Amino acid sequence: MRLILHRMRRSGQIALAALISGLLLCPACALAQAVPLQERLQLCAACHSPDGNSLIPENPNLSGLDPDYIVRQLHDFKSGNRKSAVMSGIIPMVDEKEFAALAEFFSRQKPNPGGKSDAKLAAQGREIYDEGIVGSAVPACSGCHNDDGSGTDKYPRIAGQHSAYVVQQLLGFKNGERANDVKAVMRAVAKRMNEKEIRAVAEYVVTLKGAQE
Amino acid sequence: MKNTVALFVTLALLPWQAASADMADAVKSPKGYGSKDYVWGKLLPEQVEVLRRSGDLARGKEAFRGCRGCHKADAAGVTDGTYPRLTGQHASVVIKQVTEVRGGVRINPKMEPFSAEHAISPQEIADIAVFLESAETTRENGKGEGDFVARGKKLYEQGKCMKCHGINGEGKAEKAYPAIAAQHYGYLKREMDYIQRGVRGNSHPDMVKAIRHYSHRDIEAMADYLSRMPDYRQSLAERKGQ
Repeated sequence: MRLILHRMRRSGQIALAALISGLLLCPACALAQAVPLQERLQLCAACHSPDGNSLIPENPNLSGLDPDYIVRQLHDFKSGNRKSAVMSGIIPMVDEKEFAALAEFFSRQKPNPGGKSDAKLAAQGREIYDEGIVGSAVPACSGCHNDDGSGTDKYPRIAGQHSAYVVQQLLGFKNGERANDVKAVMRAVAKRMNEKEIRAVAEYVVTLKGAQE
Repeated sequence: MKNTVALFVTLALLPWQAASADMADAVKSPKGYGSKDYVWGKLLPEQVEVLRRSGDLARGKEAFRGCRGCHKADAAGVTDGTYPRLTGQHASVVIKQVTEVRGGVRINPKMEPFSAEHAISPQEIADIAVFLESAETTRENGKGEGDFVARGKKLYEQGKCMKCHGINGEGKAEKAYPAIAAQHYGYLKREMDYIQRGVRGNSHPDMVKAIRHYSHRDIEAMADYLSRMPDYRQSLAERKGQ
């Protein structure tokens, strides 16, 4: 009988301890329910590749991008401020709290050296990239994004970015479909460019290495 | 053959394209020179605000990044004069011009999207102004043909130009009169033409009067003379040394 009583008391203590620790661990519980980063990254990797150097030219490389830039884009996808048929399907599955860790991961990945491009078109693109187009008042891309496309915390890295993606985005800025450029500067620039000039610039951007320092 | 035709058409259209891009700037400003309420030097509220702030050189250099696409990293613009040389320009002048472009007094559709309120803050204007005032360049500015420099000098010194812009083309910082020495020939010529025609929105009425009777050739001669002046800071240093 004494033994039984003792056991009961013990199990009561255990139950109490379990309850207390459960209460203490509650915030951790919520975290435990969230998807671990590695698992979440698989969602991104399907399109952007595990190292952020996407194999599909329509999907942007994320490797080496400024983390704040990535976070800003993710927020804009979430709010609908930046529209994308693909991302609008994916982004509801990702919690805003996860954005920083995802951005940090991709920003640390080593960007692939620039891709191949049409040399003739790239040479025309280089002229626009470095000097702008004086006749139609297109500023040189290098002014903000740097000569090597490395960008800054304010202006994103574009070095080595897929030309198909760059064309798609510049056309988006041009016709106003993409309107989440902070200072409306990219819309102003792209509006002054024709499609041929946009293609030429994109063909040059993909060759940039963006080696900084 | 096809290529030759295409090339010919392109070449034939080039001056027209350049002219139409320039014409876009040459619009009478509804708030500027020629309008009833225009008073040169009347400070816009924003101008007062910017002038009150103290600029920071390092921040200005970074904020100027958004201007480099046209004015270049050394702030010396484009040699043909499409974009002016801003190196060494007085902070007061930069503040006046940027805020007056923003305020619609000086019409400049090329620059407008990049100088609008959403693009740069009043603090950034103050910072950029400080940066430009001390900026240096090693690049040569654009100069004229050199045929009428003596005539240009004579007109500049004997006319009223020198009274405000100084013997070294240094302008007057405290009055926001711009430094014009070593400016690109093409820019000087274009702006004098705008001022003469009353389409540079924020021109000084005295200057419109002063250059009213100058011929196209006179303006070219003066632009050439000014473009061949050394940077005013160099002239002032030399004068001091003597």
